[in-house]
Amino acid sequence: MIEIANDSLVFRFPEVDRRAKFRVTFQRTLRIPDDGRDYPLPPGLGAFPLRHVDDFAERVPRPWLARGGVMLPMYQSEAMWLSFDADHIADRGVAWPFAVKIAAGKIDAVTGKGWSEGLGRAPQDYLVAPVQPWLDGFCVEKGIIRQFVAMPLGGGYTAEEQITGKGEFGGIQILVRPMRKEAFERRFPKLDRRYDSMAVGSVEECCACAPAMDMGLGAGGRMRQEIYDDPYDLADWDAAQGSRCFVHLANSLVWRAVTGDEPPTVPPTAKEYTRHGLPWFEYYADASAVEGSKILAELESVLAIGRKKGQVPLPENEPVDPANVVLLRKGLKKGQVREGRF
Amino acid sequence: MSRTFGEYVRERREELREEDARFSVRQVAARIGVEPSYLSKVERGEQPPPSEATIAALAKELGEAPEVLLAMAGKVPSDLLGIIRRRPRLFSDLLRQLQDLPDHALLRLVREVRDGEW
Repeated sequence: MIEIANDSLVFRFPEVDRRAKFRVTFQRTLRIPDDGRDYPLPPGLGAFPLRHVDDFAERVPRPWLARGGVMLPMYQSEAMWLSFDADHIADRGVAWPFAVKIAAGKIDAVTGKGWSEGLGRAPQDYLVAPVQPWLDGFCVEKGIIRQFVAMPLGGGYTAEEQITGKGEFGGIQILVRPMRKEAFERRFPKLDRRYDSMAVGSVEECCACAPAMDMGLGAGGRMRQEIYDDPYDLADWDAAQGSRCFVHLANSLVWRAVTGDEPPTVPPTAKEYTRHGLPWFEYYADASAVEGSKILAELESVLAIGRKKGQVPLPENEPVDPANVVLLRKGLKKGQVREGRF
Repeated sequence: MSRTFGEYVRERREELREEDARFSVRQVAARIGVEPSYLSKVERGEQPPPSEATIAALAKELGEAPEVLLAMAGKVPSDLLGIIRRRPRLFSDLLRQLQDLPDHALLRLVREVRDGEW
């Protein structure tokens, strides 16, 4: 079952275990320049607001109602990242593991293939949380993603339109499968009480007609980010349990008309942010990464498509030199304070 | 339900008193604002369960959910009563239909995000 709590999507699997609980938050962030350079991780500027589409049934487009799920507001060419989080289970020293599929316009963000609800291993078409604390874009090479950037559906900019030739779905699709209880109990036996406090497990996650109100995700600038290999067995994931959610991306102006709420302010540009000496981030974890997707490697970025069309889809795309880069590491020693991404 | 409200309260209070003398009849009664003799009679079943407010105070003292103690006392929390009174037929039917559902199915009734056809 999925609920909205504090602008997070909370996935719970009481059929598996009451501790099997997973949260996805959609983080506002600055758009990194698309200039061929590989950038570090940009900050999280707070969560996008989330609403049930059913709460605005009279004003959202009909296809949104048919697909159900939730919606959030984005400005054209605004970037986002997804933050994954699960509760630390004290007597096991870990959080419950989940296999998470993320697609944009029903294109898998890891493999570039069309949406499917099974878990594939060759190539791996899902992320493993909490091994993977976040996802910022499409996996175009091993260790490199292209940032998720919102563009109106129909303009040819989104990954979906490039790969399928159609702008049919837009939005973000999420499927979460928990680890089977038996696998969890076997892999993470109860800890001796003395060690309880040592483990750090939980990581860091109008008008019902015009297609223009629908946004999809295109490929922005390049960022260093690894998508980690699944360290577990495929059979450890519970194929019988899964919850999925369609996340509609509403153009910010449409959001105002539909919900009556103001969308969040426009995020700062990468240049403004960097000029003030604010931090960027690098993350290292002791885990292997998946290869990039050949399909996604061929994606043209929003900027490149704009150039061909003689348009300027990404204003303020000047290169920046992040000087203040904070290192985030997984696997801290006891007593060491963990620094998050903010 | 084998235990009465009074028996349950006494058991729970005695359990706590073994660890902490503040859970004597006298001290608990003082903290919830009733006479010790009254609380003692309630525990022995010589007096009917107290008012909703007193039960809520008692539940807080004993670390129990107020709904559980109210249910044992044969009372319905007044906010729930208000909900049923506003739409008595609908909610009576609803509760009758829900009574045999397992917990996980009931949990699904909270504000769940609806999935549709994609």
